[in-house]
Amino acid sequence: MKKTLSFLFCLLIVASAWAYVDDALSFAYEAASPYVKKGFSVREDAWGGDLGVKDQQAVQAQLFKGNEYWFCLGTDVKGAVLSVNIYDSKGNLINVETTRAGRLSSVRVEPSRTGTYYAIVTVHKSPVERTGWALVYAYK
Amino acid sequence: MPNILNAVLAAGLLAIAITPLHAQKPPETVDFSSFPAQSIDDVVVPVPSEVFIVLDKLGNPNWRSELRDSLGRQSGNRAQVALLLGTVIAEGFVAVEAEDSEKVKDIGRRVLTLSKAINVEKAVLERSKSITDKAEVKEWIAVRKEFDGALQDVKAAMQELGDDDLAQLVSVGGWIRGTEVLTSIIRKNYTTDSAELLHQPALVNFFTNKLDNLSNKRLAEDDLVDRIRKLLAAIAPLIGEGEGDAIPSENVTRIHKMTRDTVAAIAAKGA
Repeated sequence: MKKTLSFLFCLLIVASAWAYVDDALSFAYEAASPYVKKGFSVREDAWGGDLGVKDQQAVQAQLFKGNEYWFCLGTDVKGAVLSVNIYDSKGNLINVETTRAGRLSSVRVEPSRTGTYYAIVTVHKSPVERTGWALVYAYK
Repeated sequence: MPNILNAVLAAGLLAIAITPLHAQKPPETVDFSSFPAQSIDDVVVPVPSEVFIVLDKLGNPNWRSELRDSLGRQSGNRAQVALLLGTVIAEGFVAVEAEDSEKVKDIGRRVLTLSKAINVEKAVLERSKSITDKAEVKEWIAVRKEFDGALQDVKAAMQELGDDDLAQLVSVGGWIRGTEVLTSIIRKNYTTDSAELLHQPALVNFFTNKLDNLSNKRLAEDDLVDRIRKLLAAIAPLIGEGEGDAIPSENVTRIHKMTRDTVAAIAAKGA
């Protein structure tokens, strides 16, 4: 019985974690939708997780010179303030344009080299301890 | 005058109010060595079209000539089927570039057959139908999105079944076929700009780590998997050490031959 309860408890934690990543993902796709109208293709693959206030997560991306990219970040937490910034492999900021509206933040980049880049997600403030986030990107 | 003063004051207060944390300028540089390893996520594997559209901008590749006549044969070996599935989905992206409706539809059907062989047919049933419908009306951007979706759905279904290793093989298979096509086009009209598209060290490292750490012993010891480990080790020094390093045409040709032979081996495994 104890084992069953523990299992159910773990299942509940996993399920709720997925639930908020799913919600955040919906917001990330919402952030990307204006760019679809501008000819960008949004990837179906995505990054996501949860972070505490002031925490950061870096995600690696293979970008190609000649393409334009929008990285779109969403969160499921109302009132949370998150940002996403893109850096090259040497740690230099390469943001070209940024936008933010409510739970959605986006940044546009035009890589000058083909290679590895890093998107850094930061939770600046949040009304909750752990803030769910999801990041998608679109390319053209 | 007090009104103007009040207005200026109000504007000042408003400016402070709307300059919250998010408006802070991000740092111009960061030191990744200070990032804890667990705070850096794995790379997302790009779909072939991300690099194909750059080739379109650089020239006018003959995509139709890059399409394979045969999509290969499947065996009872799950590793081979997963790798083959990856190459077939990558072929879908080539067929979209070639705007070849019949080929796209054929590939959509083949994705379904291969998915059935590894018990993830349900996950791609809708995608396969959608690929056929959208290819029929030549909605190429939508077809491209469906192939991307099919790839993610297949991988997610495999992970749900506890077959994460197999999901990685689908990605690797797609990347190898994508690289074969990429190098085929570059070597026909070599420029340093086009060759730079091969500079993908994070992906090569990612796949190498995944294949070195397969939890399924049978997959880890599979001949094709071993062959791909060797392929990745051989490609790593050929794709430029640093960003912007020139990748000579000889390297492009070598990578092309290696990836072509590996795709042929994957496709012939069941023959």
